[in-house]
Amino acid sequence: MIESDPTCVFLEHALIAGGFKCLKSHYGPDFLELIKQITPDMVMFNLQSPSKKLLADLQAQQQLSAMPVIMFATDDNSDTIHQAIKAEVCAYLVNGLDAGRLDSIVSVAMARFKHTQALKQALEEACAKLEDRKLIDRAKAILIKTQNFTEDEAYHTLRKLAMDRHISLGEMAKNVLSMSELFK
Amino acid sequence: MKTFIKVTEIWVPNKQRTDLEFGSGLYGGLVEFKAASEQQQFAYNEGLPGKAWAEGRPLVWKEFAQSYFKRTAAAKEAGLTCGIAMPIFSGDFLLAVVVFLCADDEHHAGAIEVWSNQDCSEQSLTVIDGYYGSLHHFEQISRDISVAKDQGLAGLAWASGLPVLVDDISKADGFIRADDAKQAGITMGISIPVSDNLSSSYIMTFLSAKATPLAKRIQIWVPDSQGEQLICLEGYSKNPNELAQLFETTTVTKGVGALGRVWLTGMPVITGDHDVDYNPELISLSSMLAIPVIEQGRLKAIVSFLF
Repeated sequence: MIESDPTCVFLEHALIAGGFKCLKSHYGPDFLELIKQITPDMVMFNLQSPSKKLLADLQAQQQLSAMPVIMFATDDNSDTIHQAIKAEVCAYLVNGLDAGRLDSIVSVAMARFKHTQALKQALEEACAKLEDRKLIDRAKAILIKTQNFTEDEAYHTLRKLAMDRHISLGEMAKNVLSMSELFK
Repeated sequence: MKTFIKVTEIWVPNKQRTDLEFGSGLYGGLVEFKAASEQQQFAYNEGLPGKAWAEGRPLVWKEFAQSYFKRTAAAKEAGLTCGIAMPIFSGDFLLAVVVFLCADDEHHAGAIEVWSNQDCSEQSLTVIDGYYGSLHHFEQISRDISVAKDQGLAGLAWASGLPVLVDDISKADGFIRADDAKQAGITMGISIPVSDNLSSSYIMTFLSAKATPLAKRIQIWVPDSQGEQLICLEGYSKNPNELAQLFETTTVTKGVGALGRVWLTGMPVITGDHDVDYNPELISLSSMLAIPVIEQGRLKAIVSFLF
């Protein structure tokens, strides 16, 4: 839990009362190092407004290792909110710190985080498949051109080569492309 | 490169054709040696490539510190202990010099030899230079023998003017060092005719152990009977490589593709990813060195080493 006002104990007490194990700290240059060391299940901020540096750190952290983030703030500027969402903050609550709602806020944030991660993974897989598809098409085109194969023959040759080597079609396509590069 | 050849370079004449400048090279992870090499130039008779140019024959240098080698400090830093220069001539005129740099390594068995018919003998070849790494006994035997035309790897290449590849030396007919090669762990070899000038013939042989191949695949390409296209005469690798075999069924047109350019220009080429470390255990091929074999101004063959 990152608290901008060290004297404020409201959120800390509410979390402990809610059964959470909480480490209270403040945002500083060693923020990323701290996260790396303790690998928290969730990061929660209580502050007036997130600085640009904080949001940049958060974005870097999310790219390195994504984690659910909740931000309680007083700044309702739409640009700040947009930047916070861009830094993959799961919940940005303006003046929304209410001990009674904390449990449900955490649950919703966790659920949203998991949902977003699943979507991201599905997107990555789709992109990888698309990339493989492109590689396979290029490899097929090379085999058609150099071996006078039909498209079907090219595909079956590629598949056989991949099966013989126990590698994926995409990997085999990369091999064909790099082989063709050598003779280019 | 996880082989006794650590670095391969191509040095080419500059615009004035008075000096050699860096053409391309395969350095694996030896980035500092690469940086030191890219800036170099060699005049005629200067450094290893310049000396090979001047002497008109392949050279093997094993003591950099006591030679005219120009990159001694950088080579020492990179652990390189031996250099082999292979000049490529068309008649009197140099086209390029291919340089191989090696490191002493107990785990990598192999040898590179230079054979010649010294005193213009029409009958036999002897080893005039060679790098044998840790194969001291094999070196001693090799330096003591001579081979006749048509005998052994070097003799066959001399007789035909073509590269000769033998994938199992221990079973090869006419290879008089077969037993010694077997004892030294050497299994395959390729011999390449180099710089055929009026006075002497020079043949280079590359010998390697199965566990530490020279390259993932070696191919010999020759012009077809009409001289219109290049065809692959032979391809060898330790493990079967169906993809490479597939590409070896294609023909090469002069000027088209890397091999076509070698045919058109008579210049050796290096293609692919120059910075990747050569790992014989990986199946994929990432770089290629193609060397032309030229006789009386005509291309006889191209030897390609695929890494």
